[in-house]
Amino acid sequence: MRRPERIAIQAAGLITPIGQDVDAFWSSLLTGASGISPIERFPVADLRVGRGGEIKRLSRVKEWRHVPDCRATRLLISAADELCTQAGLRPLPLGADRVAVVLGTALGGVEEGEKALGGDRRIRRLRGGLYDSPAHNLARWLGARGPVITVSTACASGATAIGVGADLIRHGVADWVVAGGYDILCRFVMRGFDALRSLTREEIRPFDRRRSGLLLGEAAALVLLMREDEGGPQRLGSLLGYGSAADGHHISAPDPEGRGLERAIAAAMREAGIQPSDIDFVSAHGTGTPLNDRIETSVLKRALGAPAYKIPCNSIKAPMGHTMGAAATLEAIMCLLASRHGQIPATLNLEEADPECDLDYMLGGPRAARPGISLSTSLGFGGCNAALILEGGAC
Amino acid sequence: MLTAPALRAVGLLTAWGNGGAALPVDALTAAGDRSVLSLGRPAFDRDRLRRVPRECVLGLAAVEAMLEDARAGREAISGERTGLLYASAGSYGASNRLFIDRGSGGAYFPYTAPAAVPAEVAIEFGITGPYAVFIGGPPATLRAIWYAATLLEAVLCERVLVLAVETFEECADLYIRGRRLTGHPLVEAAGCLWLEPGKGSLALESHHRHGRPNRGGIRQRLGETFACEPVVALDLWRRGQARTPLCLSGAWGGETARLWWTEPLAAANRGQRCDTETRG
Repeated sequence: MRRPERIAIQAAGLITPIGQDVDAFWSSLLTGASGISPIERFPVADLRVGRGGEIKRLSRVKEWRHVPDCRATRLLISAADELCTQAGLRPLPLGADRVAVVLGTALGGVEEGEKALGGDRRIRRLRGGLYDSPAHNLARWLGARGPVITVSTACASGATAIGVGADLIRHGVADWVVAGGYDILCRFVMRGFDALRSLTREEIRPFDRRRSGLLLGEAAALVLLMREDEGGPQRLGSLLGYGSAADGHHISAPDPEGRGLERAIAAAMREAGIQPSDIDFVSAHGTGTPLNDRIETSVLKRALGAPAYKIPCNSIKAPMGHTMGAAATLEAIMCLLASRHGQIPATLNLEEADPECDLDYMLGGPRAARPGISLSTSLGFGGCNAALILEGGAC
Repeated sequence: MLTAPALRAVGLLTAWGNGGAALPVDALTAAGDRSVLSLGRPAFDRDRLRRVPRECVLGLAAVEAMLEDARAGREAISGERTGLLYASAGSYGASNRLFIDRGSGGAYFPYTAPAAVPAEVAIEFGITGPYAVFIGGPPATLRAIWYAATLLEAVLCERVLVLAVETFEECADLYIRGRRLTGHPLVEAAGCLWLEPGKGSLALESHHRHGRPNRGGIRQRLGETFACEPVVALDLWRRGQARTPLCLSGAWGGETARLWWTEPLAAANRGQRCDTETRG
C-alpha cells in the first residue's frame, strides 16, 4: 500500500468561549482562563444545568449584511474571517472552483429548525434548519465554488472533516480545502444533554478522580488544507494520517473496551507511517465523564504500548466545555500551536489524578516541550471514533 | 484518478415497492393527489428495535435487502473489514422534530440524529470498519461513493456499504412550507450499495449550477428521494432499465456533483449518461 501524501495545514481561524482568534485562544489555554459561564442567550431555568461555554459577543466581524441571521453561520464566518486574514483567502487567490469547504457538525442549523417549528414561518429559517445549510452559507461568504461537504459524526465530526478534506486534495478534487467543525449552544442540545444527565454541576475535570461529567460549549474552528509542496514556510503544520472506525456497540455509550477508538488510532498511525514511539504528544478527547476518560486511558495504553506512559497527554475541554463538532478541529489546532510555541497546555481542573487514568495527563501548569508529532483522538455518540496524526510546522 | 469500486449488490426500498423494477412510468401520475409517499415501518421481530426510530429501521431493511440481493449472510459484512458510509439530506428531521415538539426524543437524544441510522446498522450487523456520515441530497451520496473508493484504494477495508435513507412523512408539512413539492412527489426510500475493489476509474467533480435544474430523467419515474436517488439510478442501470450511469450527477444547495464511473460498466455503453440531478 502506498502511503498517502502529507497534507499541509497552512493556517487556522477560530472562535471559542476563551478567545475569538488563535492568539487569544492559545493565551487562554496557557493561562488556564475559563470560558464557562451561566448561559444567557436562551432560557435555561428549567434545566438542571444552565452553564456552558457560551460566546457572549461576536466581536471580530462587525458587518453582518448579507449574512443569514443564523448563529452557526456567524460563528463560522467569524472563524473564517481570521483564517482569511492569516492565509489571504479573500478574494480567493486561485480558481474558486478549486476551493472546497468541508465542515463537521453534530447539530448543523438545528436552532433554525427550532425557530421554524416555533412559529417563524420564513422559508429561509426552515432551510437554515438543514444540517448542511451553514456550510453552504460559509462557502458563499468565502466565494468558494468547489465541493461543499457537511459530515456529521457527532463529536468526531471536526476530525472527519479534516480527513475527508485531505482526501479531496490527495485525489485532485480540490486544491485548497477549508475544513473544520462547528456547533452552537442552543436549547435543543442543552435539553438533550440535560435529559441524559451527563452535564455536571461542578467543573469539568478530565481524568480527575472527582470528575462528574461534561459541560457543553460552542465554537467554530477552521484550517486551510493544501498540498504539502504548496504550503508556505509559515504553515501551522501537516496532517500525516487520519483513521476512523465504528464501535458497532451502542447508540450513545462507547464500547466499554474502546475497540473502535483503538482501530481508528491504528489506522491513523498506519496512514502516517509512524510507530507509537514517534508520538510526542496526545490530545485526548477527555470529556470528563467517568466512562470516557477511563476507556480512553485503556485504549491509549493498548494502542501506544509502553510509550504511552511517557507521552504527555491533555484535554482542553475544561475551559470551553465540549464544543461538539468543533472540538476535534480545535484540538488539532492546539497540537500544532504546542509545536509552534514549544509549550503544552495543562489539563485544566485536573488536581487529583484518577488511579485508573494513570497516564501523564498534564496536571499543573503548561509544560515546556515542543511536540513534533501529535495524536488527537475523538469519540462520538453513535460509536463514531476518529484519530488524527499531526506534525508541527517550522518554528 | 481513483480506482473505481465494483458494485456487488444493491438493496433498495422505495414507497413504490422493492427495487427499481417497482418504479412507475411517471411518479406524478402514479402519486395522484399524494404529495408524500411513505414507506411505513418495516417489521423487525426484535425487542431491541421496538423503540428505534423509523429511519433507522429503514436503514436496517435496506441492508437486509442488499444481503438478499448478494445472497450473503450477515457474517459477510460484519467486522472491521467493512466500511460504512451514510448519506442523507433530511432523515434526521423526524427525530429532531419529535424532540422539539414533545420535549422528548424517545429512545434517542437526537443529538445523534444524523449518525443514528448508520449507528444502528453498525450495531445490528456488527460493522466496525471506517465510518462517515455525509449530509445533503444526491451529491452527498455521490461523495460517499467516491469516499468509498478512497477507502478501498487505500486498502483500509475490503468492502464498503454506502447507505442512504430519506423519510418525509413526519415532516411533510415542513417540506410543503419549504416548497419542495413542486414538480414531483416526495417518495421515501432507503437503499444500500455493496462496493468492493474494482478495476475501472472514478472521478468526482463539482460545480455550482447555473440555470434551471433538470427535472426529467430518473426523477420523473421516481419522484424526489434526495440522497437515495443515486442508489436508485445504480439499481436501474443494473437491471438494464436505464442508460448506463457513466456519469451520475446530482444537485443540491446550488451545487452539482458529478461522478464519472467507468466500471463496472460494459464497454459498449460508455459515453452514455444517466442524469440524476435533483433540486435542492
